[in-house]
Amino acid sequence: MGLDRRAFLGLVAGGAVGTMFTPIPWKLIDDASIWTQNWSWIPKVPKGQIDYVATSSKLCPACEGLKIMRVAGNPVSAGGNPDHPLSRGGVSALARSEVYMLYSPARIKSPMKRSGKTFAPITWEQAVLEISEKLGAAKGSVACISGDGTGTVNELLSAFVGKLGSAGYFMMPSEAGTAAKSLKLMGTQGQAGYDFENADTVLVLGADIFETWGTSTRNRKAFGATRPVGQKPASNYIYVGPTRNNTASVCDQWIPASASDLGVVALGLAWHLLKAGVASNAPGFDTFKAVVNGGFSPEDIRRATGIAPEVMAGLAKTLASAKSPLVVMGSPFGQGLGAGPFIAGMSLNMLLGRINKPGGVYMLPELATVVPGALTRAAMLEADLPAFLKGVESGKTPAPKALLVYDANPAYGLPETATMAKALEKIPFKVGFASFMDETAALCDLVLPNSLPLERYDDVATPYGSGFCVYSLVRPIQKPVCDTKTTADVILGLARKLSIDLKFDNFQQVLKEKVATLAKASGGFVAKDVMPWQVAAGKPAPVLAGGDLWKALEAGYAWTMVGQVAQTAMGFAPEILAKAVKAGKGQATAATLIPYAQLRTGTPVTGIPCQNLTTVPDTELVKESTFVRLNSETAKALGLKKGATVKVRGAGADCEAKVHVFESVMTGVVSAPLGFGHTAFDIFSKGKGANYLSLMAVAEEPGSGMSVWTASEVKIA
Amino acid sequence: MEEKRSNSAGGVGGMVLFGLIGFVGALVVGWVVFPKMLYSEKTQPIRFSHTTHTQLGIECEQCHHLGPDGRFAGLPTTEACAECHGDETGDASPNGKEIDKFVKEYAKTGVQVPWLVYQYQPDNVFFSHAAHKGFECTKCHPDVAKMDNPPAYYENRLSGYSKDTMKMWECERCHASMGTSNACYVCHK
Repeated sequence: MGLDRRAFLGLVAGGAVGTMFTPIPWKLIDDASIWTQNWSWIPKVPKGQIDYVATSSKLCPACEGLKIMRVAGNPVSAGGNPDHPLSRGGVSALARSEVYMLYSPARIKSPMKRSGKTFAPITWEQAVLEISEKLGAAKGSVACISGDGTGTVNELLSAFVGKLGSAGYFMMPSEAGTAAKSLKLMGTQGQAGYDFENADTVLVLGADIFETWGTSTRNRKAFGATRPVGQKPASNYIYVGPTRNNTASVCDQWIPASASDLGVVALGLAWHLLKAGVASNAPGFDTFKAVVNGGFSPEDIRRATGIAPEVMAGLAKTLASAKSPLVVMGSPFGQGLGAGPFIAGMSLNMLLGRINKPGGVYMLPELATVVPGALTRAAMLEADLPAFLKGVESGKTPAPKALLVYDANPAYGLPETATMAKALEKIPFKVGFASFMDETAALCDLVLPNSLPLERYDDVATPYGSGFCVYSLVRPIQKPVCDTKTTADVILGLARKLSIDLKFDNFQQVLKEKVATLAKASGGFVAKDVMPWQVAAGKPAPVLAGGDLWKALEAGYAWTMVGQVAQTAMGFAPEILAKAVKAGKGQATAATLIPYAQLRTGTPVTGIPCQNLTTVPDTELVKESTFVRLNSETAKALGLKKGATVKVRGAGADCEAKVHVFESVMTGVVSAPLGFGHTAFDIFSKGKGANYLSLMAVAEEPGSGMSVWTASEVKIA
Repeated sequence: MEEKRSNSAGGVGGMVLFGLIGFVGALVVGWVVFPKMLYSEKTQPIRFSHTTHTQLGIECEQCHHLGPDGRFAGLPTTEACAECHGDETGDASPNGKEIDKFVKEYAKTGVQVPWLVYQYQPDNVFFSHAAHKGFECTKCHPDVAKMDNPPAYYENRLSGYSKDTMKMWECERCHASMGTSNACYVCHK
């Protein structure tokens, strides 16, 4: 009985049937299906002890407090800190990305030195030696551009540059700069702080308060707190601006007005208030009244802006009858606003008696400086960077011999971008202190990587927009991922090498001194059980008794203070208004470009956080093309169709775009997203669409002489 | 024709016999050989004796506790173990050598011990120990408290998961028997 053909078939058949009664086929199918899901590029959820540590966001301009979730000591995600007054548990799309950005492909991994058109890595010792030699030779002509609007690092940089012989200390353009210059023109001092929490009626003139203006995360929380689910709203928000943006879309009312007409609208409202008999003792009131009555009647406003007289009258009545009205002014995309519209808006607050009142605008004192020779924040905000760089480009202003760029990207984030980049190229020696290889770093001769906020000590002092003084600590929660250093420590090292005395050995000492100064300041307290807006509303401020303020700050709490600088002569600055704000003849141009910014696409220094790219809708970006938005009436007037590819020309440059017909844009306005069109960074930012800021033309504002660019005429074909 | 018939009759018997042999052989391969081929046997990086620790009166929850927010702390960190085992003992006994190995390789270097976890769920499963704390640990986990040597860890060569990882049908069966929802979102967020 050998193994013949039949026996073999029997063996196979028996084996096959037997196999069906074993786990082989079923287990293999199951495991094979699991195996197909195990690809090497799928991220693994880390396992281990989970804990939360507190810090504050530095990448996000809203400066909210963060709670970083760690697994086995490694940060995995960032969320809002419920105990922090600028967060109250909220977090922006940008702050949420702070953890992921530790591993961004655009990070500068070590010091780099230009070698022709590319960079070669060098050691920190080589880099510091080279910079100290070059800066030593450039003494008397060293400028600095900083993009950090809230950090004490500015004290170190300004003192360092000052002692080297400063050719200028420049902050990147911001709402804070406009406000500081405007308040100075109004004869006052302090930083404008807006008490949203105690306001019951908020008129927003242009500012995108829930997206990019000031403490946007806190603003959203303050708004939300007055609108409990299922109950009648306890506040009234009105937005005046060119598009129904993220702010306007949740406000109670949207009144379309061009970004160049915000001051006109404010003075039009002042006309109604003055007619109702509102008066003021502030300097310049009589001239102000004459200016307003002379050119901002309801008919003037209708002609200039298209807003009907009854709408203006109704708005003025709403403001006048509100218990705690507040007027907020700003650029729809966070930069380029002139003194005219700011002063006009602030005049409304003055007429309504809202200066230094709960629910109004506080003139917040600046926190004391601790570095000898440092500039105050007000002094830092005085310089006009676009004007300076335009002067350098045209040869009217001598180029500094050396430039330090800290946490700023002027080669991308300024209007007339190409001109600004050309100006930078004229400066013979440039050092970039950056975390990511951005457009400006790519132009520098030496790039010294700054550790990211989750890897370094840093601080946040009263961001613009906050209604109270606030100070929070940024602390390292992990070792630097790359060969990076805290720039402030590098500056202190450079100072020692150049025999410049900045008093401190390391940045932590500077911050400890700052905190010690705050601990002594009267009226300051740690926001824990009592929040600053409650104190503004009349609740007694807790006493900062003993205790270790540094420890409280490290635990994620914020030091806060409610109060204002003494006001002696805050006036209406009517001579500025008379020149800077004019009710014109109305829309003459077919297309006015007014960009909009969103935190999900990052800032000029962060680029687009890679995880956020997936949240950009296909009405903004499709493949490599970005969309401009205009309504059907504008599209018809320009002969454009939905989806058409066009060239937008302005300020001597042009950008490609696709047309998105969108009725939430006012007639005559072309709304374009910022944050795209990078030529540096990584695959998540580079080559994605166009940078429409490059089409914005800078103009000198009559009266104040400030550079302004909130709206620019463009041609579309 | 005769020979053919004869072959045919003998062939059927042979076919049945070999069919049986094939059937039994397949069962043996399927139930005995196949599992040995499918799983690779691994041992823990440190031979941790649970019994030694339970005999000292240490409760399970002391090392495997739920956090205040209900999160399961899982395995103790190297730092937690080093609170008791921070220094080498010099003890030549098997247990002493194992402690010294831990101190030398992990406690002093700060590296976390790469423990092999018998029942880690895939990343797309949200399993909350807090929601299951009414059950005895041994309902799902091996009763390691009574083991001096940690059991062998069997890793599936194809899927990469532990042999003891609970399958979805097991979760579903228990949920059904307890009257708990088996909706997708209960476990897959």
